[in-house]
Amino acid sequence: MIEPAILLQILWTGIAMSSYFVLLTVAFALTLKVEKLWNFAQAGLMGVAFFAMFYAMNALALPTWAGIAIGLGATIAAAVALEVWAIGVLRARNSGGLTFFIFTLVFSQFAAYALTILFGTEPETIYPSVMSPVRILGGVAVSDWDLLAVATTLALMAALWAFLRFTRDGQFMIAVSDNAKLAEIYGISAKRAYVISGVIAAIFLTAGIFLYGTRAGVTPDVPLVLVLTAVIGALLGGIGRIFAAGVAAVSLGLLQSFSILFIPSKWQALLLYGVLFGALILFPRGLPAWRIWRLRRRLGPATPPAAPEPLTEAGE
Amino acid sequence: MEYLASTILLIGIFVILAASYNLIIGYGGLNTVAHPIFFALGAYTSGLLGAATGLPAVVCVLAGVAVAMAASFVLAITTLRISGDYLLIASLGFQLGLLQLVNNVEFTGGPAGLSSIPDTFAGPGRGAIYVVICTAAAALVVWAIWRTMNGPFGRAVRAMRDDELACAALGRSLIGMKIRIFALGCGAAGLAGGIYAYYFQYISPEQFQVAQSAEILTMVVLGGIGTTLGPIVGALVLVVLPQAINFLHLPNGLVGPAQGIIFTALVILFLFLRPGGLVGTAGAGAAH
Repeated sequence: MIEPAILLQILWTGIAMSSYFVLLTVAFALTLKVEKLWNFAQAGLMGVAFFAMFYAMNALALPTWAGIAIGLGATIAAAVALEVWAIGVLRARNSGGLTFFIFTLVFSQFAAYALTILFGTEPETIYPSVMSPVRILGGVAVSDWDLLAVATTLALMAALWAFLRFTRDGQFMIAVSDNAKLAEIYGISAKRAYVISGVIAAIFLTAGIFLYGTRAGVTPDVPLVLVLTAVIGALLGGIGRIFAAGVAAVSLGLLQSFSILFIPSKWQALLLYGVLFGALILFPRGLPAWRIWRLRRRLGPATPPAAPEPLTEAGE
Repeated sequence: MEYLASTILLIGIFVILAASYNLIIGYGGLNTVAHPIFFALGAYTSGLLGAATGLPAVVCVLAGVAVAMAASFVLAITTLRISGDYLLIASLGFQLGLLQLVNNVEFTGGPAGLSSIPDTFAGPGRGAIYVVICTAAAALVVWAIWRTMNGPFGRAVRAMRDDELACAALGRSLIGMKIRIFALGCGAAGLAGGIYAYYFQYISPEQFQVAQSAEILTMVVLGGIGTTLGPIVGALVLVVLPQAINFLHLPNGLVGPAQGIIFTALVILFLFLRPGGLVGTAGAGAAH
């Protein structure tokens, strides 16, 4: 029998550790929703963000705020450049999904190779030590890193929710995600919406990889693995549901944390990939229970169930 | 001499891989990134069978082809409900999951790899014999794909790629076609794996990572997706060109990344400047 204190500790640690998964998943889900793009180039952007911060704080010995500012600036610049000079060009040519996939994946690999030449293959962390002060609260060990990670994630999620709900640009992004051509007829610039979603994704990626890089070593290959986890979260949440993707990322984090009670750690990655494959085969458009809940909320109890309506691509 | 034989053999192996990948992704329009795992299944089955039973190499390689085809059947059957981007992501999960399995079980040698693969041909002519075998296998695969794609089945496959609904409305079984394309393409990858395992006598999970998918895809895109000659030209260019890096006497740690940069920079350039590839028509690369 496992003691409740141990279960609580695993639960808390799982929630804290899933914080960067949430940020990376939301970044992926946002571009998938607004741009309809499986943007594997986000792995390359993560690499740019991490190594820019690492270089600024270690080689240049700049303070944390300056390192983050440099990382954020570099990532946003790279994201905008990608959107304007690469993805936008392919979109204008009406390129197919395969072309986008090849480009985004190959871009990430290009970034990884370039970063390997510049920084080598040794795992690097933002700070020399990954340890942070710990306090015991109700029998659960809570570190400063845990609190920073959870607070950062909650703050960014709240800011994104407010941005999408209360700003014109946010609402325009939702409109473009619903129907880009129709939105343009109403005078909304789809290009602007794509760039803004890229910038927001860059902010989330920088925050996510900062948290990851203060907790574990990063090599140029690591971001590609992280982006795969983001793909799983985005799929489980359902295409077009940003915040549900965040919840799915927490669920995956908890699944991994609790799985240590039952399976050896070397099989944990297989568990993730199994979930990815299974989720796609069984629920290619997200978990069905959530779809039913959304359908009921939309139609209401008195509405006849005849109207076939797309369930997935609508605004959050 | 051995270096030259290795290079020619690699060209042959990548011609098989690129041509078979082109069959699935270029002709069939089935977006998958799981090709390296079928290469791995062919290599591991041949290697393990050869090491454990001492059966003739031909039998072991054919067993590798059979296992790769059987695994392709599993992928095809389980992903019949999905296509396009979803198939791509599902194949990614399939590739990563199976490779993780190969990495974790003991009888494959785990991360350390498998090194007890028997030496079939000893002596100074070994490299030349393998070059002949591999070149013949590559020619056979390219000819089989060309022949298949220029017959009634090939026309149906291209019709399915261009418009699944219209193709089904004409009475063609999409499921049957997808299963056959996967089986043919993945079986060829298994054949390449078997030859690779017997020649190099050492295989490890690192050699079959998902990144290799991008490498093979690069060959297909650079040569010309959906063409017969494209994958051959792509494999030739992308095996030979990075060899030039070897003569620059760079530190060992830089050779791999420098070759990777050449690979990825070429594919990015071709995607934007010549999407049809070296032998393809303009726009063919962006067909999907």
